[in-house]
Amino acid sequence: MVKKVKSKAKKVAGKKDTGKNKTGKPTGIKKGPVKKGVSQKRSLFKRLFRLCMLLAGLAIGLGVPWVMYLNMQVQSEFDGRKWDLPSRVFARPLSLYDGAEISKQSLLAELDAAGYEKAASAASSGHFSVNGNHFDIYRRGFTFEDGAEPALRFQLDLVGSRVSALGGSEEITANGLVRLDPAEIASIYPTDDEDRKLIALQDTPELLVTGLQAVEDRQFKHHHGIAPKSIARAMLANIRAGRTVQGGSTLTQQLVKNYFLTSDRTIIRKINEAIMSLLLELHYSKTEILEAYLNEIFLGQQGKHAIHGFGRASEFYFDKPLKDLNAQHIALLVGMVRGASYYNPRRNPDRALGRRNQVLDMFASTGILTEQQAIDAKAQPLGVTSKPRSGDSRFPAFVDLVKRQLIRDYHADDLRSEGLRIFTTLAPSEQEYAQTAVSTGLDDLAQRGLPAELQAALVLVDVASGEVRALVGDRSEGRNYFNRALDARRQVGSVIKPLVYLLALERSSDYNLITPIVDEPISLRQPDGSVWSPENYDHISHGGMPLMDGLIHSYNQATVGVGMNIGVANLIRKLDQLGINSQVPAVPATLLGAVELTPIEVAQMYQSLAAGGYSVPLRSVTAVQTPQGELLNRYPLRLMPLDNRDAVALLNFALTQVVERGTAKNLHALLGSNELIAGKTGTTNEQRDSWFVGYTRERVAVAWVGLDDNGPARVTGSNAAMRVWAGLFKQLPPSSVDLRMPDGAGFIWVDPAEYALSSEGCNDAVQVPFIDGTAPQAVTDCYKRQGDDNKSFWSKLFERDE
Amino acid sequence: MIRSASILMLLFLAGCATQAPAPVERPDVDAVVREPASEDSEGVQVYSLQNPAVKQLVAQAKTAEGAGNLDQASGLIERALRIEPQDPQLLQQMAEIKLQESDFQQALNFAVRSYESGPRVGEICSRNWRTISVARESLQNTSGAADAQERAKQCMNVRPKKL
Repeated sequence: MVKKVKSKAKKVAGKKDTGKNKTGKPTGIKKGPVKKGVSQKRSLFKRLFRLCMLLAGLAIGLGVPWVMYLNMQVQSEFDGRKWDLPSRVFARPLSLYDGAEISKQSLLAELDAAGYEKAASAASSGHFSVNGNHFDIYRRGFTFEDGAEPALRFQLDLVGSRVSALGGSEEITANGLVRLDPAEIASIYPTDDEDRKLIALQDTPELLVTGLQAVEDRQFKHHHGIAPKSIARAMLANIRAGRTVQGGSTLTQQLVKNYFLTSDRTIIRKINEAIMSLLLELHYSKTEILEAYLNEIFLGQQGKHAIHGFGRASEFYFDKPLKDLNAQHIALLVGMVRGASYYNPRRNPDRALGRRNQVLDMFASTGILTEQQAIDAKAQPLGVTSKPRSGDSRFPAFVDLVKRQLIRDYHADDLRSEGLRIFTTLAPSEQEYAQTAVSTGLDDLAQRGLPAELQAALVLVDVASGEVRALVGDRSEGRNYFNRALDARRQVGSVIKPLVYLLALERSSDYNLITPIVDEPISLRQPDGSVWSPENYDHISHGGMPLMDGLIHSYNQATVGVGMNIGVANLIRKLDQLGINSQVPAVPATLLGAVELTPIEVAQMYQSLAAGGYSVPLRSVTAVQTPQGELLNRYPLRLMPLDNRDAVALLNFALTQVVERGTAKNLHALLGSNELIAGKTGTTNEQRDSWFVGYTRERVAVAWVGLDDNGPARVTGSNAAMRVWAGLFKQLPPSSVDLRMPDGAGFIWVDPAEYALSSEGCNDAVQVPFIDGTAPQAVTDCYKRQGDDNKSFWSKLFERDE
Repeated sequence: MIRSASILMLLFLAGCATQAPAPVERPDVDAVVREPASEDSEGVQVYSLQNPAVKQLVAQAKTAEGAGNLDQASGLIERALRIEPQDPQLLQQMAEIKLQESDFQQALNFAVRSYESGPRVGEICSRNWRTISVARESLQNTSGAADAQERAKQCMNVRPKKL
């Protein structure tokens, strides 16, 4: 076969050479002597002859180089043909097991995001049925980041937002674990905006290959690129009908039209198309041409992205791989070749159905389907999903983060062309809750009289793994011209204070949570010579108090007092340890958060605290595969423990008290629950920024609210960002903060005002965690009476089994 | 008697894990961590049973580890950790995988976390400290390594006085 092509090519080259030589000759003839005394008729004939020769000369002189030019174009483009494939971005797969916590609403949201269709029964993959709290789900086969798993039908019940009775087969019952194939949340498209999934001819259903030829080009196996008979027949039919009813284009011509040419309908283009088709057939096998056709033909449009080829079209319309299509599906796609938008089954279902059935009839008349098969297939509905599974991301802010993580290891061009499979950490249901919390939260704030132009960012992270579950960078879903979660660099205000107190607690010989401190006016000389005299939010100095109350009520003067003992340089060092690489000014005002950080940086900082000092670099990508499912990169969980984790544990307790009795004490009312939550509010000068960072045992989230122009926005931590935060956490399963103390720390009953040990039941006695050996030495009178049974409620609550 | 039975049991279990001879720089986790810890604890395990999904993932991870596929094993443990983020067993198994990958810093970090969230006594405590010891040794912290060896021994007789 190859040999044949080569010899043909040589022939052509030979012809071309002779053509070239000829170009000189006719001019020579023309210059020859002309006989005298010829009749007018003859001279007319001669003149006509000359004109013809001139035209022929022109045709050869211009035509041959033109053909050569087209030949070069055909060969160079087709030889090096390699389609740019978009990368696919997947959410995290949802793990379902007995005891897994998920509400019915969330499970439905997850199924919807993963493209599952609700049906009367889950009879085929990609469908589910729900009856009360009983779910029957037919999972699709999918290549996960750690390997392929086949399609699988399983059932479960939801009992009080927990999965139970997971089953469906002995294997499922034995494993106790099923993963849903993840939502495809975005594609990273090639610069030409073409969307395709490559298929090889040998993986293409036989019916598609034969059916395509039966409908579009019955002579495909025999012609040399163009089929004059077909063209003649088509012209005749068109003339008879008075309009275009038939096309005479071969598959090769259609491929050329799609691959090399623009869509304008000029005669020149038609000629080019014919020449290029002949050339293509000359150089390449039918197999190569057909395979290219299957991957190139235009089959639909999604926004600005053009769907090319049957591989992607199959997913786009049926949400199924090509090999799983039935006769009626294949007939529809084949029919759409004629006009993908005219026969668009989503927009023009009746027209598409008519075309499909027409195609099925042709399948039957050519014998590639039996009459009965065609009748059966025609009885089927179109089978097109109501909406395509993916496309432009609904979660552009998160995908933005994904790209930024990937760009460290991959060229932007590779992301746009290599068809990578990117596995991310996004939880679609939680992302939806987060976006709703921001969108409706800000609308609600406008109702309360705050500026209508307020903007917000929200970052939700899994505490233990550092995996980013949701990221919102704008109040409008889908809008991402400015990703505030990653790029809004704003003053953090009091959100930084916990680090000042952490540094104090790390000096355990100087400070514990109840060490007496004073909140009083303070004046400091700044590096530029000016004097800085911070005031409290309420413009009152509150006098003496236990250390943790300075944090719990976010008193500025008390915090600066502690901070000056610690040293600003140490605060900057701590920020660096927590993974904050921004430039931070070494001035006392930094102690009160005159530091500009992005929401995601704040999330990183608090992940470390929420995880008890087990810092984990935030991740949005867990693995990257080739289009064939081979692993290219895994981004594993990495623990970066901080020193002094006992101090972190103490701080976590103080942060729960911020919510229990401090600046965030309205949170319980907003959430309508009493679970133990740690949090910190933040407000900046002239109420420009509102921050709230809060965490439960499982999740940490940062909310920021403010104006893009950094103008005064009348926002405070608790009146704006905390409401947005609560809007999100209301939808998430509750989980109280883990207050187990690490080795070398524990809860003790104390009386903070007296700075003395106390006992349960004594007046003013509270349980506070201390690092061993740092509790007060003094004891209250009540303690003396009751003895030293000062094992606290917290100890009992979080005690390990003996 | 119980002791020798448990050793036999462990050797039997370890059989699959030691099929391929490990490269020199890779610590033999069975020899330096698991077997002595099991020996010390006389086979007594104090941690609670895990949920079936986690158990299944752990079993798969053990198979992968036995086949020398450490990357897959750590991926499976990571999946299990998403279900039970502070399970000391999972954290310790991850530490042992990291040890075999010669990723000593991560081995150390996971073992410490396992210890802190674990029972701090018994077999797993011993595995925690033995892993920490090997990792410290490899990270040139000789005195820390010796210290950890001591702590491993204490796992069997000292109850931590505090939570």
